[in-house]
Amino acid sequence: MAVIAHDPQHPNQTHAEVTRDVVNTLGTADRGYFIALGVAVLCFLVGIGTFTMLLKDGLGLAGYSPPVMWAVYITTFVFWIGIGHAGTLISAILFLFRSPWRTAVYRATEAMTVFAVMTAGLFPIIHIGRQWFFYWLLPYPNARFLWPNFKSPLIWDVFAISTYLTVSTTFLCVGLVPDIAAARDKMRGWRHKVYSFFSLGWKGTDNQWRHYTRAYLYLAALATPLVLSVHSVVSWDFAMSIIPGWHGTIFAPYFVAGAIYSGVGMVLTILIPLRKALKIEHMITDYHFDNLAKLTLLTGSILFYAYAMEYFIAWYSGNPFEQETFWRRAFGPMWWAGWTMIICNAFVSQLFWFRKIRTNLTALFVISIFVNIGMWFERYVIIVSSLSNDYDPYAWGQMTPTWADWGILLGSFGWFSMWFLLFARTFPVVAIQELKEMIPMPRLRKGGH
Amino acid sequence: MSDEIPKEGMDRRRFLTVLGATGAGAMAVSGCSTERIEKLVPYLVQSEDQVPGIPTYYASTCTECSAGCGLHVKTREGRAIKLEGNPQHPVNAGKMCSQGESALQGLYNPGRLTGPKTRQPDGSFKDVTWDEAIAALAGKLSGAAGKVAVISGAGRGTFSDFLAEWTAAAGGRVVRYEPFAHEALRAANLRTFGTNELPAHDFSAAKYIVSFGADFLENWLSPLENQRGFAKSHGYDNGNMAKHVAFAPRMSLTGMNADEWHPTKPGADTAIVLAMANVLLSERSGNPADANALRGALAAFTPEKAQEASGVGAEVIRRVAREFASAKPSLAVAGGIGNQHRAAVDLCAAVNLLNYIAGNVGTTVNFGSDLDGGEGYGALEALGSDMDGGRVSLVLVHEANPVYSLPAKGGFAAKFKKVPFKISTSLYLDETAALCDLLLPGLHALERWDDLRPRRGVIGLMQPVMQPVFNGMATGDVLLKTAQKAGGAFSRFSAPSWEVYLKTQWQTVARAQGSSDTESFWRSALQRGGVYTEAPVTPVRLAASAGQIGSTPASFDGGEGGDSYWFAPYASVLGDGRFANRPWLLELSDPVTKITWHSWVEIHPELAKRLDVREGEILRLTSPHGNIEAPVYIYPGLHPDVVAVPLGLGHTAFGDFAKDRGVNALDLLDAKDGNGFLPYLATRVTLSKTGQYKKLAKTEGTTRQLGRGIADAMTLEQAKKGLTPALALEEQGHEEHEINTEREVEAIHGFRESQLEKRKHGAYVGDQPMWGMAIDLAKCTGCSACVTACYAENNIPHVGEDEVRRGREMTWIRIERFWEGGGDTGDPLETRVIPMLCQHCDAAPCEPVCPVYAAYHTPDGLNGQVYNRCVGTRYCSNNCPYKVRYFNWFAYAKKAFPEPLNLQLNPDVTVRARGVMEKCTMCIHRIRGAQTAARLEGRELREGDVNTACAQACPSDAIVFGNMKDPGSKVMALKTNHRGYHVFEEINVRPAITYLAKVLHRTEA
Amino acid sequence: MAKPVPGVLAIFEHIDAACDAIKSLRAQGKRNFTVYSAAPNHELEEALGVTNSPVRLFTLIGGMTGCLAGVGMTFWMSLDWPLLVGGKPIATVPPYVVFMFELMVLIGALSTVTGLVLLSLTKRTTGLAYDPSFSDDRIGIFVPAGGETGSEIERIVRDAGAVEVRNAA
Repeated sequence: MAVIAHDPQHPNQTHAEVTRDVVNTLGTADRGYFIALGVAVLCFLVGIGTFTMLLKDGLGLAGYSPPVMWAVYITTFVFWIGIGHAGTLISAILFLFRSPWRTAVYRATEAMTVFAVMTAGLFPIIHIGRQWFFYWLLPYPNARFLWPNFKSPLIWDVFAISTYLTVSTTFLCVGLVPDIAAARDKMRGWRHKVYSFFSLGWKGTDNQWRHYTRAYLYLAALATPLVLSVHSVVSWDFAMSIIPGWHGTIFAPYFVAGAIYSGVGMVLTILIPLRKALKIEHMITDYHFDNLAKLTLLTGSILFYAYAMEYFIAWYSGNPFEQETFWRRAFGPMWWAGWTMIICNAFVSQLFWFRKIRTNLTALFVISIFVNIGMWFERYVIIVSSLSNDYDPYAWGQMTPTWADWGILLGSFGWFSMWFLLFARTFPVVAIQELKEMIPMPRLRKGGH
Repeated sequence: MSDEIPKEGMDRRRFLTVLGATGAGAMAVSGCSTERIEKLVPYLVQSEDQVPGIPTYYASTCTECSAGCGLHVKTREGRAIKLEGNPQHPVNAGKMCSQGESALQGLYNPGRLTGPKTRQPDGSFKDVTWDEAIAALAGKLSGAAGKVAVISGAGRGTFSDFLAEWTAAAGGRVVRYEPFAHEALRAANLRTFGTNELPAHDFSAAKYIVSFGADFLENWLSPLENQRGFAKSHGYDNGNMAKHVAFAPRMSLTGMNADEWHPTKPGADTAIVLAMANVLLSERSGNPADANALRGALAAFTPEKAQEASGVGAEVIRRVAREFASAKPSLAVAGGIGNQHRAAVDLCAAVNLLNYIAGNVGTTVNFGSDLDGGEGYGALEALGSDMDGGRVSLVLVHEANPVYSLPAKGGFAAKFKKVPFKISTSLYLDETAALCDLLLPGLHALERWDDLRPRRGVIGLMQPVMQPVFNGMATGDVLLKTAQKAGGAFSRFSAPSWEVYLKTQWQTVARAQGSSDTESFWRSALQRGGVYTEAPVTPVRLAASAGQIGSTPASFDGGEGGDSYWFAPYASVLGDGRFANRPWLLELSDPVTKITWHSWVEIHPELAKRLDVREGEILRLTSPHGNIEAPVYIYPGLHPDVVAVPLGLGHTAFGDFAKDRGVNALDLLDAKDGNGFLPYLATRVTLSKTGQYKKLAKTEGTTRQLGRGIADAMTLEQAKKGLTPALALEEQGHEEHEINTEREVEAIHGFRESQLEKRKHGAYVGDQPMWGMAIDLAKCTGCSACVTACYAENNIPHVGEDEVRRGREMTWIRIERFWEGGGDTGDPLETRVIPMLCQHCDAAPCEPVCPVYAAYHTPDGLNGQVYNRCVGTRYCSNNCPYKVRYFNWFAYAKKAFPEPLNLQLNPDVTVRARGVMEKCTMCIHRIRGAQTAARLEGRELREGDVNTACAQACPSDAIVFGNMKDPGSKVMALKTNHRGYHVFEEINVRPAITYLAKVLHRTEA
Repeated sequence: MAKPVPGVLAIFEHIDAACDAIKSLRAQGKRNFTVYSAAPNHELEEALGVTNSPVRLFTLIGGMTGCLAGVGMTFWMSLDWPLLVGGKPIATVPPYVVFMFELMVLIGALSTVTGLVLLSLTKRTTGLAYDPSFSDDRIGIFVPAGGETGSEIERIVRDAGAVEVRNAA
């Protein structure tokens, strides 16, 4: 375990300390927590209210104005899907790469993934015209003997996202079991019963570990290509169409990079306050943020390249439709959105070349907010501005979002934060057993092994 | 079902139409009026002409304007559901216009009066029975002997004759009032030719058409007939194409279709005409002798003088005059509403001379037809003063709304109020009816017996095609019953009913037509929809008065100052305002400005720059007579110092759709008599900003096609050379479209073949028809008749002003209008119009993206849309390059068809639910219907068995529908034409609609 | 709660001690004892001579099944009611690859977890003596035994350096 030997992150904590510090984060919460939770639930209720209105009167309440047939809802859908990706990247891909710094943060990010995908999953239902028939997108035997159209990228979505949700949830739960067991053994009374139940009788016997370690490895191996595929599929929703500004081969890698970029942004936004609230600063340290910031820099730079390429190809292709679209993206009626996206994503991320900024939490937090805004706008620009001026100039039109758009957006944040907050106080947000795996156990006789 | 001209012999259509005669009787069993809506119709005893699910057609006549087009009224289960043109009728030959189509919304209008009412002391109306109402009328009549007046907008026919007699018996007089009565034209004809008849104009024969503000495609005499003729002569037909030059202050729809439009100074156009006449006389030999006599009188009018007066270049005037002379026959027209200035009579007289000199009178200008027009303004004004002077004690208003259609300034309402007893037979509570004491709602033209004589030789018949929607009574019956009650002078009106009266009158018609068996004559007339004979052309010579040449420019009220501008109100979709209660027409985007639902003021880009106003800014227009406020629409098709506002809105009554919508442009006008007519173009206004803004509810995104080759065009020369649009573009120096090499084409083709093979599964095996369309842009004028026809046929809901503002209108077929040239380009302003509808692409981008197969391809090549399956992801619309898919954001259909408008819905077409996508189906219900019919007759489908609603209505025959697998079909003939192209060909979606490029009759410089 | 198994429960604080104990137990020919630890530990695995877990077979078979399910579902459903869209072939591979892949991952993952559960059940854990500290920082070895064999085992683990030894009965 050469890795552990010079691992800067654990100022030789003992196993007992790890267990204690993590288990202390569970259960009893302070007032601040409940206020936060209250706000989240409130936002969620706003979302519910808006959705009820949509069901009652129709999608027309939202700001759609043809030719802009997709707008804020799909934008937010892609936004949340994207958020999810960083989680899986950190928990699965970095696990395969045996990258030590992921250990302390991966549980939080994996949870974020699951809740983000849960949020995203709502949007395909919210945004369709007859929400009550959403299940027609599933291939179930029906009286009409009619199956879904597997050539439609939307059906690809259905499969990709449901798979993603299932697999990442499984991955999260499997990882949780031993930690819940650890918590169980520290708990007394009814808490003990509850955790006993969720620990599924885990005792950490040699046999359990034997299968567990392998199973966990294979899950990670499966999740890795999955995370890459999911956002590629989402990007194909656009790339498979013929809309100038959508129809691009660059889309899959471009979207995956964007997804991870936005995801890491969200990780920073969440972890910085979280570690403070849970008093685990000594576990999630500058070392981690530094690495997260580097990841942001990497993906941000990929985006920079992608943006540049989009404009270059638009010019180079000599396709007047493509050129018009991109000219308008920068100087058209939606120039402000276009530049928000480019500045927040391509340029702001470049600040992370400086170590000072990477390790300054305030700076990190502010920038992470910019990243979130920037990535939401990226999707908004790609979707709305491309649609509002495609082939037929006579049919062009601009859309302006309405309360119905903002209501659902707010609701989605409420829904996400609600779940995350509940999780953070109930389950270990730092992986106890994986940390311990990295901390050498005391020896009776020096040297040895 | 087939909508073609009935073949000889007794085919189903003809058979059912014959039955129309007994139809009225049969109506009784097929209850459909709102009161009786609950009554179930047990088809135990099958009424002979009511087959559930099979439409019955009745021949009738359109009464929406004085042109009197022939109709075939399509009824289902006793409800009129669609108006289609009568192919046998000489005026419209089976074609329809938007206004005509919308008659159904007049029939089923929620604003219709449900029965007779009398005014109570407190001013409110109270329902009464017909007996009470008639008694009341009879009582008043006896009192008002000699002081009776009738204002009637009814077209010329048996009824108008009867009305005259009846009024005479009451010792009163009838004023036949038609707001757009072309009085100036009559006066001019009287001056030039000694007859005040309105002649028929043969646009189809004309090789060169000059229009001086006569909007002959919109509202000039017989618009639909004009358009048919215009399409024939001006539509490109191997090498031949008439030229159309328009001189007018505003580029109207007619001006849009001109090859040259010359903005002229309002009121100064007479000079141009006289100059042209002068050029003709002085440069040409072989002019009519009596015309030569005028040479002296005209010598003074040189093109240079005309240039001073009108601002149109002398060389232009000379050139046009020469072209006009050399093209035989040519046609000059004037006297349009939009150009009705105080010197209109002089203008029309001058045009008469011009036509006469050029030898067009008798060829393209034919007297003898005596088009119907009504007496119009003069007589009404006289009546007004009588009312004012208390010399009228009883007035009956029939099918007219003078209180609205006259400028408020004239105070007609006040004069009208002075009449002690006022009766209205209006179907709706319009502005005039609202002032009346007794409301006797008549029957709609589709509910009653009647006839119409739009011109000599043509008598159109009307028959009840269904039970009255409400408790109205044909005014004929009302007057007869009243007469029988009143007795005295009225005693000669003994006919038991209007129907009987009409039939009796028709016996004389029969005799006149030399038929002894009056009954069978009546039957066949009813079946054909009337009697159509050619009126002989009566030759005319110049009258003595022809020499009086008025050339003084028209005068205008209001300051001459730099800050005041000519005010040009004009009639558009809503005509004189009589159509303002019909959602189809309110939502029909104006053919020129593409604006719906509200009023607007058009100002020239330069003026906009000078005043620094943006589109949508609300301006206040102030004339000496009043002021109005309307949002700005910046329109390059104007004389820089002219502001234009459409007529027809700003109603204070007339049902919920019309009431308090937009402004009434007449408020800015003086009612002073411009010798016998209302001078619409006679005021100058000052403009002031209000600081308010209103986003226009217009259906257009941008006004330019950015060189994307949507509505392609080529010059006449190029067309003669047989160039394709692409080659034509290159010749015009545009960058050439990328064209694939032989090998690439091979590869693409080979790939496509392999793909086609892989389709052959299930229903896609075997050979089936492949439906397609060809649209000739050289013929399309942008009149938008197809749009309304589509609304009527396919139960398309209107969405209302606010939704249109968000671009959510549901027009399955829309007319896209683009500007070319004009503005800073230096080139003259040109217009391109193109009907845009679902292209039914063979490789449709909308289909594969639908997750649930709601959008799929039918075996006969249609792009199907399954409403029931659609979940509303809207991906198909995103992926449609033509943007012809429309989404039900709300439950539009629920709002769009309030009782009894819902009775109009076509039972063959689904009313779409909320949350589903819809689009053009190429009238698939008609196709399937025809296929079934053919199968029943045990034969293959024939060319002409099916036609789409749009193609059927199109007055220009620009749209042709048919089977692309049938090499002999008309559609294939057009598709293989060298002018044919596909919109956005480069994205290779293989549309089933081929457009034929417009042909530009540019000036050979 | 299953009835307790009699035996010896040794608690270790030191990893090397635990490993020695395991080695000598195995030398004694003991095989059916159970080792508790808070985290997987390579030294323990070596001492126990752990072989690769067969859970990977579940992953493999699950994945292959999923992929085939993807092929079958897409092609059969397309041809069951052929509908033409966008002039594309009725059934065609490229778009369907997505489904083959996604189902491979989905079913692969689920069967892996199933495997994990089933295999963990192959050795009983209930009724064996256990101490909460095992999930914290202690290593435990439970050897089912009774009578003098029990005392024999006690000796072994004490020699190895167990911090505490209990007799579970």
